[in-house]
Amino acid sequence: MKEFQLNGSSTISLALFTDVTNSRELLDSVQTGKLEPEVALLNASLIPDVFPVLVAANKALVSKSRGSFTTRTLHSELIYNYSGSKHITESLKRCGIADDTTYVLAARFAASHDEMKDVAKLIKGKEIDLAELEGRANQVLIQKHYKIPPQELQISSLPDAIICRIAARDTL
Amino acid sequence: MEVDIAGTESFGLLLKQGAEARVFESNFVGRKSIVKERFSKKYRHPLLDSKLTIKRLNAEARCMTKARRLGVPTPVLYAVDPLLHTLTFEYVDGPSVKEILLDFGLNGINGEQLDDVATQIGSAVGKLHDGGLIHGDLTTSNMIVRSETNQLVLIDFGLSFTSTLPEDKAVDLYLLERALLSMHSSCGNVMDKILASYRKSSKQWSSTLNKLAQVRLRGRKRTMIG
Repeated sequence: MKEFQLNGSSTISLALFTDVTNSRELLDSVQTGKLEPEVALLNASLIPDVFPVLVAANKALVSKSRGSFTTRTLHSELIYNYSGSKHITESLKRCGIADDTTYVLAARFAASHDEMKDVAKLIKGKEIDLAELEGRANQVLIQKHYKIPPQELQISSLPDAIICRIAARDTL
Repeated sequence: MEVDIAGTESFGLLLKQGAEARVFESNFVGRKSIVKERFSKKYRHPLLDSKLTIKRLNAEARCMTKARRLGVPTPVLYAVDPLLHTLTFEYVDGPSVKEILLDFGLNGINGEQLDDVATQIGSAVGKLHDGGLIHGDLTTSNMIVRSETNQLVLIDFGLSFTSTLPEDKAVDLYLLERALLSMHSSCGNVMDKILASYRKSSKQWSSTLNKLAQVRLRGRKRTMIG
């Protein structure tokens, strides 16, 4: 678990889990809105670095302060923003968790230490260090999802390519 | 749970002020960044002003990210704010090509570095043009050589647009040629080196360079007769 400072006074806490066995139940409680404490569960194989998540989180906070959410909650907005796409259902399906997801990044805004402990209890898996994101990311899947052509990767890192798509989505 | 953002009004240290925008040095989620704010023009009708500003803001963001998709290095875009009319992007550390060439004029030319820069300019512009993107403001101050990697980074896509016409590409190159002639004539013929590299990188170099020859005779503006 690690806490990151966003713009302004806000923070977001991230925790990475592997070998998660209860994603079906987690997905159920996310969809019925019963997940307590509220947390965003992302498909971590699409995440090669924490910074793109922070960029998406920052964007979600800006929308919150202006009351311009596209989705229902701050945490679903984070997942939607991370996808870099305007298709909400598809975004939540791909960047959120599915029935068979075993590798999950949990994110909660302004979380206390105790709340993150509760989050860790919810998710039945092994918590690992965030430094593992880079090695465990699925590059082929990322390139396909974000439509990153090979010539872009000659001049850009994978996280930078994702960041640009997250930031530029609403201008397209 | 309170997660409001406060203090978004202050962007940081003012670096440059132009006719269309102000550029600040700032910090974005812990990274050094640049904020480009397109300010409003008080002489325009407010509605028209905000529409134009947002249109240009979005166009710039689109062109910058499109350039990256074509394999041309530009700063990483961190955020677009349609309400404050700002773009936030990566701070690229290094001298501009203008500074490098002016330094050559003062302290003598480093031939190896000059060749490297010219080659990178030609190949970058070639890739842009083949992808149908016109930079619109190719001057040596809009090119930065990244200190860590010596990679040429193109900045300021504020006048960029998409076009596949040889005319637009030729004018793009012509502006660069004029800029080089007026600022950096002491560096010898940099443009020839740039065009040689442009030829290698662009598949459509032939029609563009033919057009460039015509543009040189008449200048940037087209004569509209008939």
